[in-house]
Order: sequence, then C-alpha cells, then structure tokens
Amino acid sequence: MDPTSRPAVVIDNGTGYTKMGFAGNVEPCFIQPTVVAVNESFLNQSRTSSKSNWSAQYSAGVMADLDFFIGDEALTKSRSSNAYNLTYPIRNGQVYNWDAMERYWQQCIFNYLRCDPEDHYFLLTESPLTAPENREYTGEIMFETFNVPGLYIAVNSVLALAAGYTTSKCEMTGVVVDVGDGATHIVPVADGYVIGSSIKSIPIAGKDVTLFIQQLMRERGEKIPAEDSFEAARKVKEMYCYTCSDVVKEFNKHDKEPGKYIKHWRGIRPKTGAPYSCDIGYERFLGPEVFFSPEIYSSDFTTPLPVVIDKCIQSAPIDTRRALYKNIVLSGGSTMFKDFHRRLQRDLKKIVDARVLASDTRVGGEVKAHPVEVNVVSHPIQRFAVWFGGSVLASTPEFFAACHTKAEYEEYGASICRTNPVFKGMY
Amino acid sequence: MKNPHILLLSLSLPTPPLETVFVGGLPFGAIEAIKAAYGGIVQILDPPRDGFNLTLKLNLSKLPQDEDQRHTLLVKIASVREVVLGAPLRVILKHLASRTVAPDIDQFVALVHRPNESFFLVPQAEKVTVVFPMRFKDSIDTVLATSFLQEFMESRRTAGLSNAPPCLWSQTPPLELKGVTDDALSANAGFVTFVILPRHVEGRKLDRTVWNLSTFHAYVNYHVKELKGASRICAFLTHWHMLRRVYAQPDAAACGVTYSGSELCQTRSGEDQENTTNKIFQTSESQGQSNQFKFINVLAVDMPLSFVPPRIEVGGLPS
Repeated sequence: MDPTSRPAVVIDNGTGYTKMGFAGNVEPCFIQPTVVAVNESFLNQSRTSSKSNWSAQYSAGVMADLDFFIGDEALTKSRSSNAYNLTYPIRNGQVYNWDAMERYWQQCIFNYLRCDPEDHYFLLTESPLTAPENREYTGEIMFETFNVPGLYIAVNSVLALAAGYTTSKCEMTGVVVDVGDGATHIVPVADGYVIGSSIKSIPIAGKDVTLFIQQLMRERGEKIPAEDSFEAARKVKEMYCYTCSDVVKEFNKHDKEPGKYIKHWRGIRPKTGAPYSCDIGYERFLGPEVFFSPEIYSSDFTTPLPVVIDKCIQSAPIDTRRALYKNIVLSGGSTMFKDFHRRLQRDLKKIVDARVLASDTRVGGEVKAHPVEVNVVSHPIQRFAVWFGGSVLASTPEFFAACHTKAEYEEYGASICRTNPVFKGMY
Repeated sequence: MKNPHILLLSLSLPTPPLETVFVGGLPFGAIEAIKAAYGGIVQILDPPRDGFNLTLKLNLSKLPQDEDQRHTLLVKIASVREVVLGAPLRVILKHLASRTVAPDIDQFVALVHRPNESFFLVPQAEKVTVVFPMRFKDSIDTVLATSFLQEFMESRRTAGLSNAPPCLWSQTPPLELKGVTDDALSANAGFVTFVILPRHVEGRKLDRTVWNLSTFHAYVNYHVKELKGASRICAFLTHWHMLRRVYAQPDAAACGVTYSGSELCQTRSGEDQENTTNKIFQTSESQGQSNQFKFINVLAVDMPLSFVPPRIEVGGLPS
C-alpha cells in the first residue's frame, strides 16, 4: 500500500503539551506533556568501576539507552523513583534538547501512535520564529532516523487559522494570538503568508500564569507541600481560573459572597500520600489578569496583551489592517480561560475606537471614518486548534504534493527543509 | 439512521504474497478467532465494504459494564489486526500445546505479516519452527538490523534467558524451507529462526507468544530506529558494540557507516603508544580475538566508561 493512501501523522509539539494523531480525525489521539524521563543512574555508577565488571557496564549502557519514558508516564516515573531525570526538550517554543526530542518522537511513533514511520507522511509544526537550521535538524531526524516517506513542517499559527477554515469559509487572513505554555506569539497572516516583520512576542505565557498562582497561594500561607506546589497551581489554573471584566468589581464580589466564589483544592502529598486541602481565592481571576495588566506579575514587561495586538496590526501593511482586526483567532491552551475572548475583544475595541475618535476630531468632523470591525474568534477546539488545522490540511489531496519527499532529501540534503515547498523559491 | 451504539470497523490486510493462502480474503481460522475474541459484541458483515478484507459491526451497547473488563475488550478490539493475522499462528501453536499437528497442513505454512511479505511456520508435534525473512528498504537499516539480529541471537545465551525459545540468525535460508520459491526468500537482513517448544505455549503464555511473534518485525524496526538515533547523536560510542559488527561487514562502509578502523588506530596510538600496545596484547590474549579486531579492543579499554556498549535484551519473548 502506498504511503499516500494512508492518513498522514500529525504531531504538534508544544512547550507544554504535545498533540499527536492521524490526519482526518477531529481530535488528536493523545495529548501528552512534552517531557522525557531518562534513567541516568546506570551511567554514573559504572564510572567508578574498572574493566573488571565489563558485562555490568555493558548492560548498563543498554538500559540507559532504552530506559526512558515520555509524557504522563514520565511524570509518574519521576515521582515514584529518584533514578529518573526529567528533561523538557522544548523551551519557549524552540527545541532545546535534540537528543530528548528524538527520543520523544520515537516513543510517539512506536509506542503511542503505534505505526511504522516508513508507511506514513508526517506533518510537524514549528513556531514562526524557528531558525531554518532547526528545521534542517528536524528534517534530518525524520528522514535519516525514521525514514519517513514525506515531511511537511508547517508554521503553527497558519495551522491555527486553517482550523477555522472548515467552520465558516476559507479565510486565511487574520491575527493568530497563540498563547501556549512556554511562548506567546502574535502572528499576522495575510492570505496564508506570515507577515514576518510584524510578529510580536510576549514574555508572558501559560507557565507564568502558573508561577503567579503559585506565588499568590504561597504568600497567602496556604499549606501546600513545596514539592507539589507547581503541579497544584497548574491544576488550579486549568480547572478554576476565569477572566473577569473588572478587577476591582471582582474583588468586591469575592468579599461579599466568599462562599460562592472561594473554591477548595484537595491534593495528595507525593512523598507521604497523605491528603491535604487548601482554599482558592482571588487567584481564580488574578491568574489570567496577568495578560491584561502584566505589572501585577513582573516589573520588566508591562504592556498588556490587547495593546501588543494593536501594535502588531498597526505595523502590518495598511491594506491588510481592517481584515486583520476582523479576524483575531485564539489558539493554545492558555486562551481557554472563560470569557478570555470577550475581554480581549472589549479592550481591543476600546483602543481602536479611541484612535478612530482621535482622528475624527483631528480632521474636524468633516469626514467620518468608517468604523473598524474588531472580532475575536473563539472556538471550542482552541486547545488543539493547531493540531486540528494540521489534520485538516494533511487530509487534503494537495498535501502530499506539498511535502518534502525522501527522494528529494537524498538528492539535495537537509537544506530542502529550509524552505516551505508551497512557496518555492521564496527565500 | 445514525445510531451511536453501532460502529463499523473495516480492515484492509496487507496484500498476501503468492505463497500465502487466504480463505475468502482472510487468513484461515480468522473468523473463528474473531468470534472467540469478541463474542456477541461483534457481527461480521458479508461481503465486507469495498476495498477492505473484513468489516465488523460493533454493538457498543453490549460492552461489559465493569470498567476493567470493558477496557480489556476495547484493547482487544484495538488489536484486531493481531487477532486476524495471528489466527493461523494461534491455531498451530494450540496444536503444539497438545503436542499434535493440525491435519490438512503442509510441511510449512506461510503467513503474511507485511505487504507482500510472509514468514514461515514449520509445524511438528514437538516443536514449531518459525522463520522470519528480514527485509528492510533502507540500506543503513539493513546493516544495522543485521548486527542487531546477530546480537539478539547471542544474548539468548546469557544465563537469565535459558528458558527463552532458541533463536538463530543466518544469512541464508534455513534448510527447513527447502521448496519455497526464491522470491519469497529474498531477504536482505538474513533469516531469524525461533524454535517454539510446547512449554512456551502453555496456558496463558500462548497469547504472549502469538503477540510477540506477530509484532517481531515491528520490534526489530523499533530497535533499528533507536540505534540510528543514538549512533548519530553520540557518533559511534554509545552503540559501539553493535557498530563493531557493522564494521566487520565488508559492505558497511559503502552503506554510510564511515568510521574507518585505521583512522581510529592512528589517533589512539598517537596518544599513548606504549600503554596502548600493552593493552592490545592483554586484551587480545585474554579474549583470544583475531587480529582483525585488535583496534577495537584498544578502544574498548580506553573508552570512557560512561560510553559502555549496549546489549540487546530479549525481554519480549516468554520463557
């Protein structure tokens, strides 16, 4: 059977979670934390002994190479035994540890998706700021190690736009606000082309929300065991946080009716197994507030997310701006807070209307500017919108023609991965 | 007409090569195996959907209520390929457990496991010989698989694995397969032979044996890819032991494994001539290796201990 007649494998490696599955499905088969647990204890102990126990060293080497876990399994292993070290192969949206990344992919393919990589085309994602060299490494690993027949490396923000593609109409112009665990990018896309010069990044992402919640709970003196506090904060963030319209009002609401707003968190101490519980108060709305008033979290970066989005669109070519305001697409797990899109739309609309008003008064009321439509799009699959976009793209018949094939790789080398085959000769 | 409890599952099997016999588009015993594995929840539709060998109609409302049982059954449905393709294997091994040979069976049986590829069973009353012709598309894969399999065979000799099925690797087809067409025996990574004895298929071991044999090619493929990853990142040091074998093969250099022995010798001897020569003597005497491998011994001794060569475990096979 020809690889093109089988569904392509779509893997979206994010800083926090990896989404993997087959093209044509509406949901990824697995969503797993991007983490590898490697057992390095074998290597350290064999260093002291000399050649006398050759066979022990010998098996230690095998074990160290084969003894690793990824995803949730890795987290469980590292919790239950001290022998495993956790490695996060991706940091801030960039692959940081290629060795771990390769192992991660290997487990994804053989142990989770359980397919033969020689039989399927692959679609991987990258952040818009990835260096061409990194794309080459990806290609090298995929073609050399796994012998994939074809590979397509897509920009994740374009895929997030393509995810909306089926619901309404074919709209490939818009701003993608991608708030992941490790990186936040605001990427304007016009007709499927990324406007590279206008990409804006924010040093605040999902992980910072978690850290902020952790800090708030610690300062209030909640009794959470130190070794579990980050995980507990992450769970609190994922389960209880929401976006408020006004912080002051929200504080009042909480103070008036604490019974209604204060939640409880019950956890288990990882070391002893004893249960503990704590209260969740203001951090429910203060966590997501980090994006709208960053000064409460860090003094280094104080520009709110709506202002950055506005700046990003203002720096894009003038003929695309109206279309960009009209289609602001959210993607990534950290945009999942309740009412996040409403707050974003309201704040953005305020900025835009103020500008329109200012220009009207400047002209003196003779010419009225056409009002600018601001629209923040939210859809239920936001959490894995990038993966879904990949699934849609890879299930079209044109996909296979757009891939880099193994034959091309063997003919020209890894440099073919620098360019996107859809836009041949652009670089 | 949409019913959330009814699910159609269609299966397309790899194209069988000439020597493999399919009965009504399925391997023999497949229908019985499906019925035995899934019971009432599954109904076989005849004829199957266009372009598929088999269509199953699953009635999800009949799933067991108990969480554990339900999970077991769902896993079994997910491994439908093993149930269908492994059916003949299961029949033959069951006969082995009762020390008989199924009637109306030829001297050897070919079972398809990959498109246009099959492996062979030679059933006898006391043992079943299973022969896998190993084929790989990529030339580097072929070389690595060959050395992996040799290592695999050798690891069978370690003490802990004395009960595992005897395992042999050879470059040429084993004698049991006399009479099979050349086409079916065109393997580029040699032949692996397992001898399955009645004790390997007793009771619950049968399921594991069938599973391990049906996924053997995937198992080797997994380790070959693993090996490539490790050897590329850490040059040749981590998987040195296997690369030693690779190097010993004349065509390895042509296949992309480019570490030349003489180069290594030069760099090494330049460093610490006397000490190294000494070690050559020691190691080659104590281990009785031929001259061909001298330089490797030098390296093996001088290598930083954290880069110990690996051994392949035969963990997958039942004892």
